[in-house]
Amino acid sequence: MKRAVFVTGATAVGLAWLLTYKITPHSLGVAGALPPSPSSSDNPSASPSPSPTPAGVSGTFTGSDFPNRFGDVVVRLVISDGRITDVQAVQLPNDRQRSAYISEVAGPMLRSEVLQAQSAHIDVVTGATYTSQSYAQSVESALQQAHMG
Amino acid sequence: MGMPVTVNVVDAAAEAGALDRVFEEFSMLDRTFSPFLQTSAVSLINRAELRPEDAGELVNQVIDLCGQYERATNGYFSAWIAGRFDPSGLVKGWAIDRACTILDGYGYSDFFVDAGGDVQTRGRNADGGPWRVGVRHPVEREKVACVVLANGLAVATSGTYEKGEHILDPHTGQSAHSLVSFTVVGPDILQADVFATAAFAMGVPGVEFVAAASGYEGFAIDPQMRTWSTPGFRALCEFPSRL
Repeated sequence: MKRAVFVTGATAVGLAWLLTYKITPHSLGVAGALPPSPSSSDNPSASPSPSPTPAGVSGTFTGSDFPNRFGDVVVRLVISDGRITDVQAVQLPNDRQRSAYISEVAGPMLRSEVLQAQSAHIDVVTGATYTSQSYAQSVESALQQAHMG
Repeated sequence: MGMPVTVNVVDAAAEAGALDRVFEEFSMLDRTFSPFLQTSAVSLINRAELRPEDAGELVNQVIDLCGQYERATNGYFSAWIAGRFDPSGLVKGWAIDRACTILDGYGYSDFFVDAGGDVQTRGRNADGGPWRVGVRHPVEREKVACVVLANGLAVATSGTYEKGEHILDPHTGQSAHSLVSFTVVGPDILQADVFATAAFAMGVPGVEFVAAASGYEGFAIDPQMRTWSTPGFRALCEFPSRL
């Protein structure tokens, strides 16, 4: 399923632990599972994207808790008619002062990044955030619960 | 620290095998260069269990590149800090470049590869326009500082909000403090990434350093949200929100 998403040119997200002790490259249905933006289907050069999303899936799906160095991250996706309409960081690390600062900055920005993935206005964001990995894992598990991953 | 890798290929003929090869490449490079993996060549070199000259072609290619960029950045980029070899700052951009070369080999012309917020684009996006690369705002929620219209360009950002105060000034061994974000745009992700790291360590003078490199533009943000950019940067950008 995810391979089909790759083939037709939707965003494929994998996690490469480039700077850490293990690597688990795998497809991850964060942006890849998103429906295509309306504008992209108008373009003849763009591939027709499949709809890996069951039409009409709606609800709120909470991802599993994934730890990072500063704490745990849990993500809740709000899905309306097969489309992600909101991404909420249920729990971001705040166990130390530095972590609290990173949470304050990184949480909302990551949220906007996931939302922007299905926006026609921004294709990708430069400037990584520390919690990207655990955030993405939690998004993935929330998508799986919604059977969108 | 995890690093999300995103590959987006617009070409209708894109095949799954190409993306498998890209992610296999990132895995292989991680096994070789990760300073956190006990069995990586980098770890073996740091434990003096492997001589660099015996570490193979890839490692020696990286060592050579690190030397070249250390000279090109007046020592503001260095893979050798406190006697330890850590080429991570170069390997990320290099890995992205190798991933793009794999996709080039499949004949794809419109794609990007993003590793941990550093991006190389090729061609155009799914709308047929330039790839729109948002530069993450260092503080304001839900915003990007600007959007780079990256027509086949690379965009790399170094910043303290990325992984804590992780960028050290090799001259002092201390964290660089004078900026919170430095973005470099240019044709090649390896150079853009290394320049972003080095220019961040330089502080505001890093903008002049990037401006001196033909084809490269820079954009810096300080803790007071003041910005500096090279003369050609704004022509590549849209500014959706006031800093």
